[in-house]
Amino acid sequence: MTATKEKSNKYDRQLRLWATSGQSRLEDCHVCLVNATSTGSEVLKNLVLPGIGDFTIVDDSVTTDADVANNFFMTRTDTGRPRSEAMCKYLGELNQDSNGHFVTRPLHSLEDGFWSQFNIVVITDYVASERLIQIKDLLFELEIPLLLVNTVGYYGTVHLITKEVTVIDTHANNLYDLRVDKPWPELLEYAHSFNWDALDDTDHAHIPSVVILINALENWRSHHESPAPRNTNEKKEFRRLVSLMARNMDFETNFIEAIETISRAYRRTSVSSELHQLFNNPKVPGETVGNDTPLFWVLIKALKQFVDVSQQIPLSGSLPDMASDTKNYVRLQRLYREKADKDKRELVEATKILLKRDLTSSELDSVSVFCKNIQTLHVAEGSGNLSSPELIESLVKESSNGFEDSNSNANTLAIYYGLLTFNEFINEVHRVPCPHDLEVFTQLFTKKFKVDHSEISTSIMNTFKEILCHNTTNYINTASLIGGIASQEVLKLCTSQYIPLDNMLVFDGIRSISNRYKIS
Amino acid sequence: MNPGIDSLLRTIGPYNGAPNEYNYEFAKQQLRSSKILVIGAGGLGCEILKNLALTGFTDIHIIDMDSIDLSNLNRQFLFRKEDINKSKAEVAARFVKSRVKNRFLKIVPYYGRIQDKPVEYYQQFSCIICGLDSVEARRWINATVVAMVGPAMENLVPIIDGGTEGFRGQSRVIIPTVTSCYECTLHMLTPKVTYPVCTIANTPRLPEHCIEWASELAWGQKFSVKFDADNEQHVDWVFEQAQARGRQFHIGGITRSLTLGVVKSIIPSIASTNAIIAASCCNEAFKILTDNNGHLDNYMMYSGDDSVFTYTFEAAKNPGCPVCGTQTKTVRCQNWWTLETFISEMRTMPELQVKNPSLSTAGTKLYFAAPPSLYEATKQNLCKRVKDLVSEDDEIAITDSSLPISLRVKLEFEGPESEPANIDVLVS
Repeated sequence: MTATKEKSNKYDRQLRLWATSGQSRLEDCHVCLVNATSTGSEVLKNLVLPGIGDFTIVDDSVTTDADVANNFFMTRTDTGRPRSEAMCKYLGELNQDSNGHFVTRPLHSLEDGFWSQFNIVVITDYVASERLIQIKDLLFELEIPLLLVNTVGYYGTVHLITKEVTVIDTHANNLYDLRVDKPWPELLEYAHSFNWDALDDTDHAHIPSVVILINALENWRSHHESPAPRNTNEKKEFRRLVSLMARNMDFETNFIEAIETISRAYRRTSVSSELHQLFNNPKVPGETVGNDTPLFWVLIKALKQFVDVSQQIPLSGSLPDMASDTKNYVRLQRLYREKADKDKRELVEATKILLKRDLTSSELDSVSVFCKNIQTLHVAEGSGNLSSPELIESLVKESSNGFEDSNSNANTLAIYYGLLTFNEFINEVHRVPCPHDLEVFTQLFTKKFKVDHSEISTSIMNTFKEILCHNTTNYINTASLIGGIASQEVLKLCTSQYIPLDNMLVFDGIRSISNRYKIS
Repeated sequence: MNPGIDSLLRTIGPYNGAPNEYNYEFAKQQLRSSKILVIGAGGLGCEILKNLALTGFTDIHIIDMDSIDLSNLNRQFLFRKEDINKSKAEVAARFVKSRVKNRFLKIVPYYGRIQDKPVEYYQQFSCIICGLDSVEARRWINATVVAMVGPAMENLVPIIDGGTEGFRGQSRVIIPTVTSCYECTLHMLTPKVTYPVCTIANTPRLPEHCIEWASELAWGQKFSVKFDADNEQHVDWVFEQAQARGRQFHIGGITRSLTLGVVKSIIPSIASTNAIIAASCCNEAFKILTDNNGHLDNYMMYSGDDSVFTYTFEAAKNPGCPVCGTQTKTVRCQNWWTLETFISEMRTMPELQVKNPSLSTAGTKLYFAAPPSLYEATKQNLCKRVKDLVSEDDEIAITDSSLPISLRVKLEFEGPESEPANIDVLVS
């Protein structure tokens, strides 16, 4: 077996998710883990296995028996040796394609420049120490995504901190852009090319449903003022019109399909408000595009120019399967593809003019993917904050409603603040808080987040009690679950595919529920 | 004991629903004495074994009939390249034993099928955790374990079932006869994509149509041996034929990877998702066995491809469930359907999912797929109308090689009395 074939076999089950484009980005990625914890080893395991290029573990402590008991990637023979070294060794055994490194120097001795070598940083058991706050802020300025991953007992949180996330290849459910309401000349010509009455029964039952809908809509427009059926009555009339075109509505699958997909005729080809919003985003470059402008925003600029001229977005070119014979389907597919290629070439030209140079082959690939995903581009703006006044307000408000409902948000938000306070406690008292620390713990919470003691509801209090009572930070099932979620985030960010968390998640392993929050 | 686990067990949290019944000594004892069966030593199974061993469970059994393949190594972290072709269960058990130093830890592997084991075998466990990728195996273990429950609720063995696909997955807790079972929610599964034979034979449009043509039709015409998707040469031949057909019909995009995906129905799989779902399953097992907190009731869906999202709900019991229900399931049948049509329709019904069923009523054998003597005796019924063979009052027992139980259904007849004339168009 050749090396390439062996690699594609080994990674087959993941290449079906992110293809070779995602895989090569993953292989170029260098992830850094701060704190060689149980949760940390779970995160890295799930990144080394699929073949992340490099990983570095930063930790200055030595392995203890307690570490070994909760960490599958350390053994008893490592006690007394650096934790980072032990974990690096056992994780490295999982995949030779991945290069492991470890750093045993304490955080305060690492210069700011150290951090810029990484594409993404994961901090587990984040304690808001002075140096870690500096590192968090530094990474935010460097636009290196940072994941804060914390677990206590049955609870865990994942928080993605980054200035901005843009994704082209979101794999989101794309609505087919079929242009039934606005067929371009070649498509219209093809739709007109059928001599309906002259076709035999088999050919009649093989007219693609898109062609049926284009003709039906044209027919409808010749009797109506509006460009497409709008209200229930008009839609009812339009359905009747389509079914009258059939010879036998019970058996002609193409007509049955046309009725089932009739909303394709109602859909107006237009530029979505989300896209208009993107066009107005301050990140969109003006007339001059700098060398450091991200390709994503250059493409948005080019797209805006395209839309200004044609009032439409470039066609994605994908066509769903439909009841038809091969000849007509392949013909239709070619029409969609050719139009999509033409639109794409225009976008490439516009991009070249903006950049004042030719595009590299990887940039050309990006434009192709961009054109297929214009309806589902993802942009999220983040913040460097761990808490916000709005979040505190909703914590206090929702809890005071006496919401003890099992799916209420209040409780999961209390978990988040409980875990922040837990780490604050460690930072100040230098040990893990216990049940008898409840009063000090609560005071710390009120002081840190400027909440009045009277605003602490029973539900918040109970959550704090649970945290103090089950105060282990390395219960393997929580570590593995939260580590798994964090590693999915790293994969999404590294491959630039799928949509990352925006931006904080709380998991409650007692009720087996989770909730998401946006910290602005 | 592991200090982290001890800190969980030592104190009762405010959310424990029955604090007076909780007992620390009992919970500790449960870790030591609970016998846990893990079914599947694949992506989920490797994770489950690791978690159980680190949690402090010491009596673990693991079953898997598969051997290790190169394509497992991107997620099944207990295996190395040197282990290819060895038993998954055996290698996994040995690896965890050597890594986790607990002198009480015992992991017993079984390299074989779950169907090899008698009911008594399954009765000995405190809990069964499934990390399977097959609907058939899940249905089998579910039906077997539900049937074990006695009239006084003896032999009640909870099943915790996990499953993943790409960035998504689910975990669920089944308390036999108490909660919904796997069979109750069979209709929730996304049906397998199938293509009409006429499309494959006459009007291919997609690369998949060409691949199905090569593996389903062309193969059968050329060879007398059955097509084997695990045989490299078989797949190569199918791939070449599919490509040739694609060229003939101007259909592009037929790759070897796609061919393999179609003929093996490959589900994308990554370590991260397996870790999430396996950890959820083991967390539920831990709570159920120690009573340290309440357990999932009874279904959690997870999705990580568009942000992160979970949905937890109580999947309802289905009164018409053939495994745990009390009522007979009703199936609609067209008046004109022959028994043969009915059987082929049954294969695609999401609530039945049978492969090669045999059917009988209390008085008559309607159709038997095997043995040959019964097949000969019943095959003439295939071309008869179902309506002429059974009435709506008859209860039909359906047995299938993939099921340990028989499905009991009643029919509801509807539609035209005779076969519609233009049926060719309908199925094309």
